[in-house]
Amino acid sequence: MESKRQDERFIIPIGPQHPALKEPAHFRITVDGEIITNAVVRLGYAHRGIEKATESRNWVQNIYLVERICGICSHIHATAYCLGVERLAGVEVPPRAQTLRVLVAELERIHSHLLWLGVAAHEAGFDTLFMYSWRDRETVMDLLENVSGNRVNYSVNLLGGVKIDIDNQISDTIREGLAFLEERTLHYLDVVSNDMAFLQRTRGIGVLTRSQADVLGCVGPVARASNVPRDVRVEAPYGAYQQYPVNIVLVEKGDLEARFIVRLKELLESYRIIREILDTLPPGELTTRMPRRIKEGETISRVEAPRGELFYFIKSNGTDTPERVKVRTPTICNMLSVLKLAVGHQLADLPMILAGIDPCFSCNDRVAIIDHRRKSPEIWTWQDLRQYGIEYYNGHSR
Amino acid sequence: MIITTEKALSTATELFENWVWKTRTEKPEPNRLDVYLRSSEDLIPMTVGLRVQRLGYLAAITGLDLGPETKECELLYHFCTAAAIVTLRFRVPRDGAIVPSLCSVIPSAEVFEREASEMFGITFHGLRNPDHLYLPDDWPEKTYPLLKDFNPEVLKTLHDREPDNGK
Repeated sequence: MESKRQDERFIIPIGPQHPALKEPAHFRITVDGEIITNAVVRLGYAHRGIEKATESRNWVQNIYLVERICGICSHIHATAYCLGVERLAGVEVPPRAQTLRVLVAELERIHSHLLWLGVAAHEAGFDTLFMYSWRDRETVMDLLENVSGNRVNYSVNLLGGVKIDIDNQISDTIREGLAFLEERTLHYLDVVSNDMAFLQRTRGIGVLTRSQADVLGCVGPVARASNVPRDVRVEAPYGAYQQYPVNIVLVEKGDLEARFIVRLKELLESYRIIREILDTLPPGELTTRMPRRIKEGETISRVEAPRGELFYFIKSNGTDTPERVKVRTPTICNMLSVLKLAVGHQLADLPMILAGIDPCFSCNDRVAIIDHRRKSPEIWTWQDLRQYGIEYYNGHSR
Repeated sequence: MIITTEKALSTATELFENWVWKTRTEKPEPNRLDVYLRSSEDLIPMTVGLRVQRLGYLAAITGLDLGPETKECELLYHFCTAAAIVTLRFRVPRDGAIVPSLCSVIPSAEVFEREASEMFGITFHGLRNPDHLYLPDDWPEKTYPLLKDFNPEVLKTLHDREPDNGK
């Protein structure tokens, strides 16, 4: 009996080629019929050796390097790095600069969450929502361009401050943009919690209980959708978050629907924080003097990236280059939850479960279905798998 | 139950100061407690101690190469609760270190251990899947890129090889 079961088991390699999402990763999914029985991940297709590279660049050059770890959350990487180096140097950054960092970080979070909403809707076959949310994303990208001059890689941070400032005209533009986005976000919140066709793909799917999320070390919106109160902005406020406290968004259910609701409600919270900043931006300097060599020491810098806690360990040996910069991104913490969540689910749910954590891998243009009995590989594309998921649910309305 | 930063630090300090095997602790920053383990053997009992007190989740494992002249690496296990960071740290030989795997206590340790293993050449005893996580499958053996004396020249051979056409 056991050997027969073995024969009927398929291993489905997914990826690593092509950015259907954002970066490449490779999964080997074992299925028994329709049901996923095991999932293994292999990363590194976008590994560029940045941690090693920081050791041969000076403290200033490294800002530009760490900014390029991620295209979508470039600002938060540079912020984590700058906060850590400034702490090692014992330098106090002016309040206006700290506040502007938070302003850009929240705009970046809006950008990231809207982008995710589109990708996740697309994986469910809900392309109308995808088109609308990416249209709205243009609004926040324009705002970011207005503030920093760039649509991605905003390059706002300096060691000891920021290199941008905003005036009344830019503030008004941001307020206008936020008014539009807030209206849209409320509409999307209505759609993801009431559209029956969409709920079929999200409600009760990929449930991560609170204790699972805790043990697996999930971070960010994935943890908060399972009612784990993990948000660095709240737990360990850094920079100007002490002056602009964040209300943590928690949802209890832990399924895909909860992950949608958490991110959309966080958008509303970001709009609130940005408005508060625009109303009460402290005056003053934008930068302060930084030494070229940084005192010997070690520090840990934790910040809340759009996808969750971003962790930097920085060690200085007293020279103008770091001894070690260790970066732990949120996706690596959440990746394990995907593997755990996928087991027991329909193959058709996989695209949504993967998209649900907002992975900063991307992926998967080619899926090979290997039938071990016939030894004849049949190649699927990610497109095929996604289509399979959509058609499966068209035929299996629950 | 929410544990505050101060409570986490005081509980951890108390826990490790009364530890049966004497350990040295330091507070490098107001929100941090660094615990210097005698050896890697204390790692699992101490982690269990932290878990029992519900102190933190494993945020990361940092590897440090202390340089070829010291012949040692250091491993740092960071546990975060609110703003508190408790770091368990110990030194291991640079060459052929074997450290117990934390996977039985904390499953998410797997990815961090696989990373430390391929970047620093540390073997984790009990790690179920010791495959490469980030580096290519045909990465040269016994070549660990985050060691200070890593020579990137060895990689030239990596890309000169004939493609194996997926065999």
